[in-house]
Amino acid sequence: MTDHLKVKLSRALTAAGIILYIPANFLPVMTITLTGQVESLTVMGGVFELYETGLVPVAAVVFLASVVVPVVKLVSLSWLLGLHGSEVNQSRRMKVHLFLIRIGTWAMVDIFLLSILVAVGQLGILASVQAEAGALFFAAMIICTLYAADIYKTHMIWQQPMPNST
Amino acid sequence: MRPGQTMIAAWAFAMAALVTFIPANLNPILIFSVAGNSQENLIITGVRALWMQGFQPLGALVFFSAILAPFFYLASVSYVSANWTLQLRLPFAGAALRLAEALESWNLLPVFAIACMVSVVKLRTLGTVSWEPGSLWVLATAVFTMLTIQCFDRKCAELYLEGVK
Repeated sequence: MTDHLKVKLSRALTAAGIILYIPANFLPVMTITLTGQVESLTVMGGVFELYETGLVPVAAVVFLASVVVPVVKLVSLSWLLGLHGSEVNQSRRMKVHLFLIRIGTWAMVDIFLLSILVAVGQLGILASVQAEAGALFFAAMIICTLYAADIYKTHMIWQQPMPNST
Repeated sequence: MRPGQTMIAAWAFAMAALVTFIPANLNPILIFSVAGNSQENLIITGVRALWMQGFQPLGALVFFSAILAPFFYLASVSYVSANWTLQLRLPFAGAALRLAEALESWNLLPVFAIACMVSVVKLRTLGTVSWEPGSLWVLATAVFTMLTIQCFDRKCAELYLEGVK
């Protein structure tokens, strides 16, 4: 794969990630049924519920991992790929890219959390946890941003712009 | 520290992580109970539950990133760094190095360990939760994995393997 194609692919994945971000955050990720009470939670709803039970540090961890990290990734990927080929802020862009790769996987906390909750929530009518469509969008969004950051290599920041590429 | 010395540490950490990875997968992480009924949870239970609920892609993703990728990552790192440490010339070390590079960002056991802790906090509001030995093994594997990633010197391994050819 040529570097030119890699940039294009990375841009496409970032765009897909931005689109997927919307259903990932507005659709419920899981439904919890506990002794007859049914409750659907979105990603943000789950954080809020943790916060309300008074567990601020835990809520903060989940908030950072599943709300802040995806936004930071999508925004800074768009910035990096938008400036590809220009000579603005090259060394700062390199730092941002390395940072992105470092934090990238933490958004998976939410998916693992879901898998553990679903696993224990198999107690019939007493307690059940059901995964919802939002989780699929969320996972797809994470995979898109992971690959987008992975395909765009740090050295490409220093490349001269290609002819007929913008 | 001399360049390459960390490779010996990487070898030790990767082997340690491989060993702790086995009980981490075979022991329950936690037990959740509501009104006398209880449910054990292993890493694979979540994969199976997601699969049964019709979320096969999610089940596959969890299986890949919490079981398959960590195992193959640790195995290939130990294989590559064994070459260096024992001054051996094992076959397919180049392929193992490429596998380790490809899987590095997919080895999500440390993230899984955090998710375990959060899930216990969350489940406390729903019923009774108790930690099981599996969680300690998961934690140990996660720590060894992070140390492996820190110590494994990709460039050094590459140069060494090139020198062999």
